[in-house]
Amino acid sequence: MFEITYEAVVFILGITAVLAAFGVILCASPIYCALYLIGNMICLAMLYLLYNAEFIAAVQIIVYAGAVMILFLFIIALLGGAKEIVEPSVQRSSAFTFVFLLFGELLLAAGVGPTKSISGNLEPDVIAAIGSAKVVGVELFSRHLVPFELASILLLIATVGIICLAKFSYLPARKQSK
Amino acid sequence: MGHQFVLIISATIFCIGTAGFLIRRNPLIMLMSVELMLNSVNFLLIGYSSFLKTLDGQIFALIIMTVAAAEVVVGLAIILTIFRTRHDLNVDHINALKG
Repeated sequence: MFEITYEAVVFILGITAVLAAFGVILCASPIYCALYLIGNMICLAMLYLLYNAEFIAAVQIIVYAGAVMILFLFIIALLGGAKEIVEPSVQRSSAFTFVFLLFGELLLAAGVGPTKSISGNLEPDVIAAIGSAKVVGVELFSRHLVPFELASILLLIATVGIICLAKFSYLPARKQSK
Repeated sequence: MGHQFVLIISATIFCIGTAGFLIRRNPLIMLMSVELMLNSVNFLLIGYSSFLKTLDGQIFALIIMTVAAAEVVVGLAIILTIFRTRHDLNVDHINALKG
């Protein structure tokens, strides 16, 4: 009979993520695109769980599927989700050619496979014994402290940029250009 | 499920994101396609971090998530500002820097 194995679950989640990604770019209405993107992110979060990255899976659900996608849905509700009519053109066919070439190159690269040998010693049971969040935190605050601080500066810059954009765009454009 | 599966799934989602960015004309959906591409790279990093038994990939994915959140917020604010002045959501019609 049919048996649920680790490989089968990983395979089905991967295929579902790809199908949801197709839904994102093929739906006419932005609101359906956003819902398909949420589905894609949840599938990827489950795959992170299966690859022993519980902390990143939780962050993916909270930050991506939660905060970012709610922001997207608010903006869609604010701007109105008008359907988009797409007609074939030269640009579209050249875009498809480019994408298929890119996909072929990436598949060729995937055929080569990994070139780096296994360097770490963090077995899944070691991570499970210490706790995923603790392992990530120790690594983040010891060896990767500078990128962490740079990320905080990046968020600060984004916040200041948002305030500038929101503040000055209240002026009507015509009056500003005189 | 080995390395090849992670590579192929990640490459497929990345190419779908690229195609969406190139063929769609709604800036919101173009931003969503960029999110797809970032997510596919995150998946690749985490899969390989699990195979190589290190945590560098997970830290890198965390930084990418920070960058993606900042990028989405600024991008949506710019789209909102453009929509306020032009009332149009087609990137082909936005071809001048001066409103």
